[in-house]
Amino acid sequence: MAGPRYLADADVLAVAAEMEGLTIVFHQASGQTHILAPPAPQILAALAGDAGDEEQILSRIGADFDLAPAAPAALAARLAELEAAGLVHRP
Amino acid sequence: MKHVFRLKVGPVAFRIGSDWEAPLAQLRRLYAGYPTPEGICDFTVRVEADKPWRRRLRPSVAIRGDYVLPDAAPLPLAQGLLAAEMGMNLQMALGQRRYLLLHAGAVERDGQALLLTGESGAGKSTLSALLGERGWRFLGDEFALLGLGDGELRPFPRAVSLKNAAADLFADLPEERFGPVLSGTPKGTIRHLRPNDAAIAGMHDRVPPALILFPRFGPERPAAVRPVGAAELFMRLTQASTNYVALARTGFDALTRLCRSVPAAAIDYGSTEEALALVDRLWAAR
Amino acid sequence: MDERNEQPGGEAGGGLVPSRRMVLALGAAAASTVVTVRPALAQTAGSVMHCQIPVPAPQNAGSYIAPDGSVVAPGTAGAFPPPPRPLTGEEAKALLNHGPTPAGLDPEAAQAYVNYIRRLQAGMSGFTCYASLQMPR
Repeated sequence: MAGPRYLADADVLAVAAEMEGLTIVFHQASGQTHILAPPAPQILAALAGDAGDEEQILSRIGADFDLAPAAPAALAARLAELEAAGLVHRP
Repeated sequence: MKHVFRLKVGPVAFRIGSDWEAPLAQLRRLYAGYPTPEGICDFTVRVEADKPWRRRLRPSVAIRGDYVLPDAAPLPLAQGLLAAEMGMNLQMALGQRRYLLLHAGAVERDGQALLLTGESGAGKSTLSALLGERGWRFLGDEFALLGLGDGELRPFPRAVSLKNAAADLFADLPEERFGPVLSGTPKGTIRHLRPNDAAIAGMHDRVPPALILFPRFGPERPAAVRPVGAAELFMRLTQASTNYVALARTGFDALTRLCRSVPAAAIDYGSTEEALALVDRLWAAR
Repeated sequence: MDERNEQPGGEAGGGLVPSRRMVLALGAAAASTVVTVRPALAQTAGSVMHCQIPVPAPQNAGSYIAPDGSVVAPGTAGAFPPPPRPLTGEEAKALLNHGPTPAGLDPEAAQAYVNYIRRLQAGMSGFTCYASLQMPR
């Protein structure tokens, strides 16, 4: 069974600055600023304007990156953080 | 308000009203030589009786104005000058929208600015004032005003609030530049120091920032320097700004531009001489 | 801003250059990869303003404070009389951080006062002062 789907605004990363490998993003919808460490920005990019569940997210990221082995709960934890910050939601 | 004093500091004009003349007389003396603003002022500060009967009976001063903090404790009338100063700080902290405000001291040299920022009480205020008397031009000790479009600092040279022993460092300066000794304040014993003539004359310049330091003073601290990367700088400066969030996208652009273009370091020092030496060395290497 | 700029590509004019794909780690479950910037009024407020927290609020002056911080009738068994004066922001901070009891306050009552302060909500007297103590440095 596919898990829950997540979605980010299409322009969620439109106002952002890279510094020392971190992505500082101004989220226009909320006016909030967040500092993101990988893989958060890559997950956001995978969901920008395009809803997806965990499997789809991994597949989209995998197009550009090799994914290191990870604990099963890792992606869920990342998504929970992004959801708590208001950067992704469940459509 | 019965008594009024108008004051321009850098690009900001204040109108200070008071129920009593004494605090304003002290302000006028402290800010001798400062321009008087023309036209409408940017902020109003009111130093007024905490309750109507407190105008005469054990007078107690409430700090009010365009912006207020509802839980502020009243001060005795003897500290009315301090109340007016705190009132000006409060208007800036809560109401300034034309510049990105950073809680920092700033000094100028070679046409560029050094910012000194960090926690209250860490020594940046005293260090800014000291540098201002040792060959640098004083731009301010409490607030740095960063232009939103051009990224340049505007001077904001208010009187420096020197706490307890810090005032001793300036004992060689003319008495006329000092405000009254205020004892028993929330911060202990305080004296205000008027910035020097060079600081007052240059208060309308714009100065590009070239170095940001996080100074930390501690009697047992060995002198140390640690570079601060752009991302850490950004994070720390958001905590040093009272209006970053209110400025939304514009604040984001101004602050990211600053963090990407200006180097930063944290410095620890155990004495004034160590601090001045570290600053000189890092400025030369910027 | 192009979020894909993390990826180093081979970009030579002409010729095929193999691009090295970056490895991305999903991180530990307990890791923190998203930090939200919070307003920082407190930093300046602390140096700008000397704030106070009346315990209890003026409209309940004289009421006692139960050990859990709730406001109760004067004389209620097990409850403490209010402090003789409003607490300053510094004193509240010391109490909240389990520091030594400020001078003039009963140490047992201090815990009740702490719980009262923790229950403050927006709009209640002293809340702004309390909130400013909570902001991260």
